[in-house]
Amino acid sequence: MKPQLAESKPNPVGSGEADECLFEYLHAEIVNYVMTTTTSNKEGEEELSKLEWMGFGVGYRVIERLTREWSRFKDELDMIKFICTDFWSSLYQKQIDNLKTNHHGTYMLQDNAFRLLVHIGAKDSKQYLRECPKLLAFTCGLLRGSLANLGIVSIVKAEISSLPSCKFHIEVQRV
Amino acid sequence: MTIHNLYIFSRRGTLLYYGEWNRLNKSGITKEEEAKLMYGMLFSIKSFVNKISPLDSKEGFQYYKTSKYTLHYLETPSGLKFVLNTDNGAQNVRELLQQLYSQVYLQYVVKNPLAQMNEPIQSELFKLKVDELMKKSPIYLCRSL
Repeated sequence: MKPQLAESKPNPVGSGEADECLFEYLHAEIVNYVMTTTTSNKEGEEELSKLEWMGFGVGYRVIERLTREWSRFKDELDMIKFICTDFWSSLYQKQIDNLKTNHHGTYMLQDNAFRLLVHIGAKDSKQYLRECPKLLAFTCGLLRGSLANLGIVSIVKAEISSLPSCKFHIEVQRV
Repeated sequence: MTIHNLYIFSRRGTLLYYGEWNRLNKSGITKEEEAKLMYGMLFSIKSFVNKISPLDSKEGFQYYKTSKYTLHYLETPSGLKFVLNTDNGAQNVRELLQQLYSQVYLQYVVKNPLAQMNEPIQSELFKLKVDELMKKSPIYLCRSL
């Protein structure tokens, strides 16, 4: 794996504070709602996949809107780069901090201060680490959905090593 | 100048957070009792001030001062109450309390989906940020007591 994109500059955004937190609060409520409605089974796998599926739907649609002024992408890496820069900054007000790839369909996107996690834990804090997967499921789906609409079938997994940074692993499925 | 301690109360009087920096004199009662006393006193002062004021006051009760310390009080429209005890020389404490509300409470409690509203604050990040904000403030500068 070699780093492709190390630096990111803060993206000036014109949207007000209310627009931003609306998404955050709604996301938090969706997560809580989904997690509490079906608490019967043990691991909560089913809830996570429900959240992931919601994210997929949103990602699939939102990509239409975000790419409307773009010409076609050259290749897969180009699409991933678009995801890391424009897509990420329009959704999370910042770019992906680090992108790595093995050039064989595996990508690792690292965000050092992921917006849905920055309010939760300090650096190296272990306090809420257990609850974090449910906050990432939606975003995994978001990535998968948007890639799907760009023609890439993939599996997206998230990994948190220390709050508030997290990594998204994208594995492209070749047919 | 120094900061002694901080209380945050919810609309209903639950103690959400207590922080302490330079407090020499302990009250000798449990934290819960102390919080109840404090809240009761504030509640009384607030209604007293409102009743006794000869003019229609906008802000209401803001602070009181004894010979040794000053208690600063900030209440938000949502009923959250921030109480900060400092020494008598402290300036611009109101600004500090506003910052505490908008930069720390809003960011790390309201925006934390894992934190329950109107319950004592558990988040370690919040505690860290409160401490940071207080120690950064020029009011904090503690002389060796």
